[in-house]
Amino acid sequence: MYSIHCIYQYALKLSPMVLICFILIFNCCTQHEKNSGPPPFVISQEQVSSFVRNFNPLIPSGSSRWPTISGIYEPLFIYNSMTGIYVPWLATGYEWKDGNLQLDVTLRENVIWSDGEPFTANDVSFTFNLKKTNAALDPRASWGYLKSVEAINNHLVRFKFLRIFVPGLHALTEQAIIPKHIWENIEDPVKFTNPDPVATGPFTEILRFDHQIWELGRNPHYWQEGKPAVERLRFYAYPTNEQATIALINGEVDWAGNFIPAIDRVFVGRDPDNHHYWFPRVGGSIFLYVNTTKPFLDNIEVRKAISLAINRELIVRVAMYDYTIPAHPTALADGLAPWRSETATENGDWVAYDINRANEMLDEAGFKKGPNGIRLLPDGNELFFDISIVSGWSDWIRAAQVISQNLKMVGINTRVKTRDFGAWLSSMQNGEFDMGIAWTEKGPTPYRLYRGLMSSEFLKPVGETAEVNWHRFASDEVDSLCIAFEKTSDRDEIKQIIYRMQEIFVDNAPAIPLFAEPSWGQYNTKRFTNFPTAKNPYAQISPNYPPENLLVLVNVEPK
Amino acid sequence: MSTSIQYLLRRLGFYAIAAWAALTLNFFIPRMMPGDPASIIFARFRGKLNPEAMVALRETFGLTDEPLMGQYFTYLKNLLSGDLGISIAYFPQPVTEIISTALLWTIFLAGTSLIISFSLGTLLGTLVAWKRGGRLDSFLPPALAFFGAFPYFWLAMVALFAFGFGLGWFPLRHAYGDAVTPGFNLPFIIDAIYHAFLPALTMVMVSLGGWMLSMRNTMITTLGADYITFARAKGLPSKMVMLKYAARNAILPNFTGFGMALGFVLSGALLTEIIFSYPGQGYLLLEAVRAQDFPLMQGLFMTITLAVLGANWLVDIAILFLDPRTRR
Repeated sequence: MYSIHCIYQYALKLSPMVLICFILIFNCCTQHEKNSGPPPFVISQEQVSSFVRNFNPLIPSGSSRWPTISGIYEPLFIYNSMTGIYVPWLATGYEWKDGNLQLDVTLRENVIWSDGEPFTANDVSFTFNLKKTNAALDPRASWGYLKSVEAINNHLVRFKFLRIFVPGLHALTEQAIIPKHIWENIEDPVKFTNPDPVATGPFTEILRFDHQIWELGRNPHYWQEGKPAVERLRFYAYPTNEQATIALINGEVDWAGNFIPAIDRVFVGRDPDNHHYWFPRVGGSIFLYVNTTKPFLDNIEVRKAISLAINRELIVRVAMYDYTIPAHPTALADGLAPWRSETATENGDWVAYDINRANEMLDEAGFKKGPNGIRLLPDGNELFFDISIVSGWSDWIRAAQVISQNLKMVGINTRVKTRDFGAWLSSMQNGEFDMGIAWTEKGPTPYRLYRGLMSSEFLKPVGETAEVNWHRFASDEVDSLCIAFEKTSDRDEIKQIIYRMQEIFVDNAPAIPLFAEPSWGQYNTKRFTNFPTAKNPYAQISPNYPPENLLVLVNVEPK
Repeated sequence: MSTSIQYLLRRLGFYAIAAWAALTLNFFIPRMMPGDPASIIFARFRGKLNPEAMVALRETFGLTDEPLMGQYFTYLKNLLSGDLGISIAYFPQPVTEIISTALLWTIFLAGTSLIISFSLGTLLGTLVAWKRGGRLDSFLPPALAFFGAFPYFWLAMVALFAFGFGLGWFPLRHAYGDAVTPGFNLPFIIDAIYHAFLPALTMVMVSLGGWMLSMRNTMITTLGADYITFARAKGLPSKMVMLKYAARNAILPNFTGFGMALGFVLSGALLTEIIFSYPGQGYLLLEAVRAQDFPLMQGLFMTITLAVLGANWLVDIAILFLDPRTRR
């Protein structure tokens, strides 16, 4: 017995030594990083605990590895949200014909698949016709308006339309094109994981694939002379935003698109010469959605008064670390600024901060304050609303807290209610919420934004799932404007339609814009240069908006 | 001995019924959550996908409007043939493939730390009880109870920050480094142990106290029994009395606890795995629940259920040998 005690005491004294020995041994054994060749370009875009080898560019759920549709495979055109133009990629041009019922796309001539086969119009028509036979692969419902897609010659593809649908151009040009000679032999393209992709993109060779790390090498036959300048891409599995942030701070990651709190101190401060970020406001706006089917909130003047009570400056500072700016009255952020209508901007004076006016408007609307300073419904009940936010989305939770305090000032009682993503989404989509913060639809024109906000196309009764238009607002005029928009390719006509949509938006306040949605992008210039910046905005920096990030992938250079 | 076999078979029957009940709940409870997987995947794109995509998404995942009972019987039938379906979040990967790699890492990390903490805790409990009132007894129980009071994920975060981020002694993430190739080779095994060290350490530190205290308490009760006095009176060596007379009896409740813990190994390391980016089951489970990935959830819950039941059955067998009274 005594001996056991002795051994134990001995072990107790020894244990720190043993620990140090352990560390030394481990470090000796593991610090032989393969240092052959130039450094890999390390990108953090997906947050996963382990990678699954899937390079199928057609699956709509986004379960294939980044950059399958924006680096391995390529589209015909890339919409550049910084310049607002379609950059010719696998195609060189397009032309509407036959009263916008036919679209002719001319293809680039010197493109070769990564296995050496030439890229032709047959590949394009095959891609689209595969989507026709497999509805699961057609997330943009292209075959709702397409009649046929055929190769006229090796470099000309003809799209024929069932009905005029000009916005369909966007979906058609951004489709990743697959090689016919590989995919025609695949039995079930929906369940095909495409482990060794044959593609046209700048990076096609899978150099290594483990669950925690994988590497993507250059396409030996890439059509752009001398590009890409980067030898290989490397991806690590970081399961959470925190882990990705730590790696970014430590300089292990060269390019990322994460939300980082207090970025100037946390990230830039670690290495001001090399650590940079750029958050251009290309997307839409973040909205406070109010359920227009509920009494009180169904009143236009009330919605405008709620908007006037919200201190957006404070939200941007407190919740968003000053990464963005308060929303424009038309809800169009910088990227869509050329579309803004002057009339709508003037009429949208309710997207401002004016407590007095908000109080006046609510008084006028007939909702008097009760004994507790809270306004009363006609039936005598005090106003009380929940603001639903996804639990853990701390930026929006703080924004909701500011809104809740603001609304108290005008006599509206609210409570910030956090819920799990699935439960939150279901309550929003079913119209079973009072207020909630969420995003809008994105696209190259404001058409999708306003269609999602005001068209009856996606309107569903409360209790049924609506994919967009959660606040349940519809306008007949917007419906007809949408139809008119779908039929025209005339720039001026399009502009007039979008202007009118904006006017309807600011007149009816179907939802309340809060702040412009930034697109997150961080980069490290220690090993690589030529990232897009505010001074050289050749594309947006964020890797989160494929296929636009292809522009960055081919332009980044080793130092 | 035939009675023992009867006893084991009876237990096996009980476990079969328990397994069926658990698998049924696995099927129905996830489906009672609000929302559906296609909507959640659609919303993940935050406006980058058109509403029109919903049709395609439902088509892809084969989500049907078949009545729930019909789906339930298909599910049972598929389970019996070992088909757990195709994951939604990791489409089109079969659930069995996703689980199998994650399972190995979790068993390695959580299993090893459980065995270490159980054996060390039980041994320490034995020692402490044998020399109760001694220096060790006055120091260890409160110290370990103190560590045991920490939430394990908090300790994991502190350890990661201090020894990983601050001092740089240990890796910040993953189960092995970039330089080694997975397989049965020495550098890989050493690297895997190195990566598992910190997460395992935090898990051992938190759970050690529990094993030690419960062992110490039963041991003290056992030491007061007549047969111990008798054994001492016979003049047996004190090591023998401690281990073969006292500890063998006192270990029984701990052993049952070990069986339970062994089963929960598969789910227990959830937050530790997330903090250390460990590619185990924990993060997978979180992801499956978030994405309402029914097939993956069912698969994960099934492995956990089977592990709990299997471990308990093994403990039943072990106790049969350790405790002659159950054999009667």
